[in-house]
Amino acid sequence: MAERIGFTQSQVDAGGFSVRYWEAGQGRPVVVLDSAGWRESPLHGALAEKYRVIFVELPGFGGSLANTRSQSAGDLAAAIAEAADLLTDEKYTLIGASFGGHVAIWQALQAPGRVEALILISPTAIKPQDISLETTPEEFHMLLFAHPANAANLPPVSEDVSLKEWELAQRLGFGRHDQAAQERLGEIRCPTLALFGSRDRLVSPEAARVYRENIPNCNISIVYDAGHCIIADRPEALVNAVDDYAQQWETYIVGRRTGLINP
Amino acid sequence: MKASYFAAMGYSERSKFPVTWPIPPAYNDPATSVQSYQDGMAECEFAEEMGFDWLSFSEHHYSGRVSTGTPSVMAAAVAERCKRIKIAMLGHLLPLNNPVRIAEELAILDNLTNGRVVTGFLRGTPNEDQVYSMNPAEGRGRLLEGMDLILKALTEPQPFSWEGRYYQYRTVAVWPRPVQQPYPPVVVATRSDDTIRYAAENRLALGVSFLPVDQMAELTDKYRNWCEEAGWSPGPDHIVYRGSIHVAETDKQADDWFESLKRSKPGPTIPLRRTVAEAIQSARTGGEFDLRNLVAGSPEGDVVGNAPRLNFVGGPDTVVKQMKEFHDRCGVGVVDLLFQQPGVNHRGVMQEIELFGKGVLPQIKEF
Repeated sequence: MAERIGFTQSQVDAGGFSVRYWEAGQGRPVVVLDSAGWRESPLHGALAEKYRVIFVELPGFGGSLANTRSQSAGDLAAAIAEAADLLTDEKYTLIGASFGGHVAIWQALQAPGRVEALILISPTAIKPQDISLETTPEEFHMLLFAHPANAANLPPVSEDVSLKEWELAQRLGFGRHDQAAQERLGEIRCPTLALFGSRDRLVSPEAARVYRENIPNCNISIVYDAGHCIIADRPEALVNAVDDYAQQWETYIVGRRTGLINP
Repeated sequence: MKASYFAAMGYSERSKFPVTWPIPPAYNDPATSVQSYQDGMAECEFAEEMGFDWLSFSEHHYSGRVSTGTPSVMAAAVAERCKRIKIAMLGHLLPLNNPVRIAEELAILDNLTNGRVVTGFLRGTPNEDQVYSMNPAEGRGRLLEGMDLILKALTEPQPFSWEGRYYQYRTVAVWPRPVQQPYPPVVVATRSDDTIRYAAENRLALGVSFLPVDQMAELTDKYRNWCEEAGWSPGPDHIVYRGSIHVAETDKQADDWFESLKRSKPGPTIPLRRTVAEAIQSARTGGEFDLRNLVAGSPEGDVVGNAPRLNFVGGPDTVVKQMKEFHDRCGVGVVDLLFQQPGVNHRGVMQEIELFGKGVLPQIKEF
C-alpha cells in the first residue's frame, strides 16, 4: 500500500479573506474546491501521488470565519482565483465539487488564462432540484447519498458550522439555477469534465447535457449508483474517472486497459 | 388479456437430442436447420393472422430447443414478414452482453418496426452463465447495472461516459433514438425481490415464467404493493406470464397427449451435470462448494434441471379457465405461450395456433 501522503495546512490573504488551504504532492498544480469542507478523501490522496494538490477552503465554509460579504458564487470565485495566483505561477487544473463546482465555473470564466482544465463533480450551478426550505440540515445531509449507509463516509459538520454554511449557501444561490452562469458556459474554452451520480437527488439529470451542449470541449460522465456525494457512494469510480481526465483531458475516452488474457 | 406467441424457432429434429446441455453442433444438419427457421417464421406469420398480439423472442444459447441465441437477428427477420404485431424481446440476457450493444439493437428494431418493440431484461437460467464465461456471482449486479445503463443510453440526447461497477464506457451515444419515447415498454423478467422492486420503482412491467399460479400470485402481490409505494398502479400490460401450452380439440385429446409425453420421459429441459449445476449455484449464492463430496454419477453425468411441465393443457374452454385464473388471481394481462412442445412438430403447432386463435383468443380478449 502506498504511504499516505500528508497534507499540510496553511493560509493566504486573498480577496479580503484569510483563506485556508491544504497542500500535498508535487507536479502540475491541481486546485480543489469542495463546499463540504476539508477532509482528506481518497480523491485527494490519489491526486497527490501525481500532482501538487491545493485544497482551498471556500471563505465562510468549514472552519473558516463567517463570510458576510460575498453575495454570489462569482464573488467567491474571485477570491479563490486570487488565492490560486498567489500559490502558483503555473496554469492549474481546477476541480470543484457540489457548490464548489458552481464556484469553479465562475473561476474558469474569470481566470481563463490560468485554468487549463476544469473538472466539475456534481456541480449545482445548472438546474438543481428545488430544495424545500423546510429541509433541516440533517435531512439535507441524508439527501446527498444514494445509500444511507454511505453517509458514514462523510460525517456531518457541527451544528454551528452547518448553520453558518446554510445561511451563506442560501445567500450565494446554492440550490438555485444560475442562469447567468449557463449563458456564459460557452466562454469556457478549457477541456471540461462534468460528473454526476446516476442517483443524484439535488441536481436533475438534464443538467449534465446543458454542460455538454454549451461548453465547446466538454465530456459528461454518469457515475452509476452514486448520489450527489459521489466520493462517499462510489469513491473508486470517482477517483478513476477524475485521475484519468486530469492526465488525459478529452483523450481519456481512448481505452488503454488491456484485454489480453494470455500472450 | 393479450396473447403472445413465443417464437422459439426450435430445430425440427430436437426430439433426437441427447439429454445434455449444450447440444453439440454435430447434431445440426444445415438443411434441416434452414427449414426449421422457415417453419418458425411461418408460425409467426400465422400467429399474427390468427390475432395474437405479440411475438416474443428470447435469448437462449447452445441448443436447438430455443434456437435464438441472437434474438434481435431473429426478430428483425420476422418483423419484415409480420407488419402489424408487437415484437417483444423477452428478452436479452443482460449479464452476458454489452448493455450498450443491446440498447443499439433495441433502438434499431424499434425503428425497423416503426415503434412495435417491447423490451425485456433478464438474468438468464443458470446454464447460460457459462455461455460467455461470466462469473455467476456477478449476474445480479450486472443485471441491475445493465438495466440502468440501457435506459440511460436510450434516453440521453448527448454523448456521455458511464462509470459503473461492471461496465465502463467513456463514449456512449446510441443511434438511432427509439421511435417510442422515451423508450419502448420494458418488461423485467424475474422472480427475485430486488429485481421486482427495481421494476416497481422504475415503473416497468414484470415478467414471470412457468410458475404455478399460487407462487405467481405471491410475486405479483409483492410487485403491485411496491408499485403502490412508488406511486403508481400497474396496468394489464405490466404483468406478463410465460407458460407452456398444449391445446387440443378436447380435454381428453390434450390429456392423452400429455400422458404420452410423460411416458416418453424426455428428460429435463435444461440438463446440466450435477457438479456443474452445484458449482453455478454456489457461485451465484456465494456458498461453499466441495467438488469431491459430490457423487460422480454416470459417465454422462447425472443431470439436473426442470422436468417438463405444462402450465396450460386442455381443450379451448379449459385453457381459457386456466388463463382466467392467472388473470383474476395475479393480474396477468399478457400470456406469452410456448407451443413448441416435445413431440409436437411444425404441423401440430400450426394446428394449435389455429385452434387457439379461434377457440381461446376471442374468449381471453374479453377478460
